[in-house]
Amino acid sequence: MNRGRRFIIGGIIIIAALSYLIYGGMRQAIVYFVTPSELKGQEKTSKDKFLRMGGMVVQGSLQKDLKSLTYRFQLTDGAASVPVYFRGVPPDLFSEGKGAVVEGKIGADGVFVATIIMAKHAEEYSPPQAEKSAYPRSFVPGEEKKAP
Amino acid sequence: MIATIGHSSVLAALLLALWGMIAPILGSRTEQKAFFTSTRVAILGQFALVTAASLSLIYALVTTDFSIKYVAFNTTRATPVYYRITGLWGALEGSLLLWEWILIIFSGLVAWIYKDHHRELMPWVLMIFSTVSAFFLSVIAFASNPFDPIFPPPPDGRGLNPLLEDANMITHPPLLYTGFVGLTVPYAFAMAALIKGKLDEAWIMTTRRWTITAWFFLTMGNLVGAWWSYHVLGWGGYWAWDPVENAAFMPWLPATAFLHSVQVQERRRMLKVWNLSLIIIAFSLTIFGTFLTRSGVLSSIHAFSSGPVGTVFLAFLAFVLLASFGLLAYRADQLRGQPELDSVVSRESAFLLNNVVLVSALFTIFLGTIFPLISEAVTGVQVSVGAPYFNSVTAPLFLLTVFLMGVGPMIAWRKASWDNFKRNFLWPSAASLALGLALAVWRVRDFLPLLGFTLSAFVVFTIFFDTALAARARHRIVGERVVSALMALARRNQRRYGGLIVHLGVVLIFLGIAGSMSYSIEREATLQLGEALSIGRYHVQFEGLRGSQQPTHYRVEAAFRVFNQGHELGVMSPALKFFPSQQSPVGRAVFRSTLSEDLYLILSGFSELQQNRATLKVLMRPLLTWIWLGGIVIALGTLVAIWPVRKSSER
Repeated sequence: MNRGRRFIIGGIIIIAALSYLIYGGMRQAIVYFVTPSELKGQEKTSKDKFLRMGGMVVQGSLQKDLKSLTYRFQLTDGAASVPVYFRGVPPDLFSEGKGAVVEGKIGADGVFVATIIMAKHAEEYSPPQAEKSAYPRSFVPGEEKKAP
Repeated sequence: MIATIGHSSVLAALLLALWGMIAPILGSRTEQKAFFTSTRVAILGQFALVTAASLSLIYALVTTDFSIKYVAFNTTRATPVYYRITGLWGALEGSLLLWEWILIIFSGLVAWIYKDHHRELMPWVLMIFSTVSAFFLSVIAFASNPFDPIFPPPPDGRGLNPLLEDANMITHPPLLYTGFVGLTVPYAFAMAALIKGKLDEAWIMTTRRWTITAWFFLTMGNLVGAWWSYHVLGWGGYWAWDPVENAAFMPWLPATAFLHSVQVQERRRMLKVWNLSLIIIAFSLTIFGTFLTRSGVLSSIHAFSSGPVGTVFLAFLAFVLLASFGLLAYRADQLRGQPELDSVVSRESAFLLNNVVLVSALFTIFLGTIFPLISEAVTGVQVSVGAPYFNSVTAPLFLLTVFLMGVGPMIAWRKASWDNFKRNFLWPSAASLALGLALAVWRVRDFLPLLGFTLSAFVVFTIFFDTALAARARHRIVGERVVSALMALARRNQRRYGGLIVHLGVVLIFLGIAGSMSYSIEREATLQLGEALSIGRYHVQFEGLRGSQQPTHYRVEAAFRVFNQGHELGVMSPALKFFPSQQSPVGRAVFRSTLSEDLYLILSGFSELQQNRATLKVLMRPLLTWIWLGGIVIALGTLVAIWPVRKSSER
């Protein structure tokens, strides 16, 4: 009896510790997939979430400063567009009128601060549902990754 | 012609495999020995046929027989011969054939080595092998045939993905497959023991070396994969918690747990159900891994294109789990009534705790890997789980494992005495605490890395201290010199000292991971000719761009002169390679390794060649080389553990 109880208590402690670890870990690492029109009007509620947003870079919207490596542009899915800010080196295929996927958070000012940009290889942008199955595999390996 | 030979060999092997599945059942019904003997013939026959099929495909690849679709898609006339051969595992169909080939080589070895042993178990062991083999053969024959023709044959093939044309890719998949398949051996023996109700320790004793060997290949396969990622993918990292990396790593965890917990069963006849469950889980995870890689349910750089194969693997996985745990439940009565733990402070309990931690790590990684699937199925929300989840969840679990690596091998069986503690742990604990304090005073201020370094030091000190005590005792009693005393120790207890050396290797890997993850620095800049970027003690100065036409691609190199505290180290030239068949360039990063840190240069972009402007990313990653050194130490330790030595007196 005593032995059984000890096992149960031990089990509960282990499960509680694990759940805590998993919950804490998930909170800082779950990335939600959104489209610009889904994000539009939801900036407030999405503020603390990590987001991954796919769309097309609007023609004429790209402002880049090569010295400080900062990029500003609009990402659109045809229905709505979201301003994006990025500091770093985007992949080679990233340019106006091409598809891109950005990962980051939305700021209080409604600007999406991207930490990673992934360029899409497909020449034309297709809506997220159609692209879903095809997209990450069409990236150049490695470019969507960050060093651990 | 060659395709016909290959495909009919596969079909014939499949028939033999099906016979190998039925024969033992017929044998036990009719009690005719011939049925049992025929299981062995079935395995050896499959071995010959699958070898013929594999050699046919290799022959077709080497002779660039483009009438076979697989050959046309995975090789070209320009491909060097060795990369034509590695084309065997360059894509789905061929890699399944390679898997089956390795499986049947293992099965053949088992059938041959244990010809006159385990007369009762063997037919059933071989039946399990034939069942797994029958599954792979039917997938190869019907769902993903590498011998499918293409008409008309193209004038030239399409070739491997350029990223796969690397020396590490020659070894990485076969190493991993050997590890995966190797786990089939203890699994088959465990299932045979369950079927026959012979649940003593015989199956564990017999499969000991096989399990260590499989574990070794799994470890090396994962490390070579990490090395390839670091060396070729050019992102400066070695592990991304990509679903397919997880798939390859997950079986390693229960396999490691199993290696430890079987020792408890050998010694104390405890944990029978646990050990059987662990090996079932480890084996199932190898099938699950194949399912993840082949089904396209999760996107990953490693994923092969999707097809019906995923579903078939999922069905087989369900069958394996149901049948194995069904058998376990059926024999539950015989598995009861084991001895209980005498004390919480004992080696059994340290091993049990290490098992709980490893299985917890497995559970968290499994959950993180399949969470996107669950989320989309249940709530319809598309999410992905990033590396920070895996890092933050596994870090405390691996810290705990390191601590247990120090305690487990030195604590006494049954019940540890105060003397045991004083003798084995007093000095190592004091020394590692002193070292930790020194590190904190020096400059390691963050809690987790500091804890990691201190615990690693604890493990290393316990190992050296214990070995030194034992060697001194031999020196005093037998009068041996230090070196020969150490050799004698290792020879007398190969598994213990091999295991301790492996532990040292694991600690080195752990230190490499801790150092490179906690203290990496990263800088990025667009440089004009002559401009420099500094990172830590290093200065990296841009010296110009150079373009050149290579046989298979156009290559743009950027030259950087590197200085360490003003001291010139030479020129490093990262490059971008433009393949005509690829839409975007493939980066070729370069790095410079020292024991204290790696300097890693990535060319991320450049202006027109004449303008001489380059965008560079530089990483400085402390202790990273220790990961690869750890791999070498693990290899040495494994050799010590399994090297066949003739012993005059066993224990």
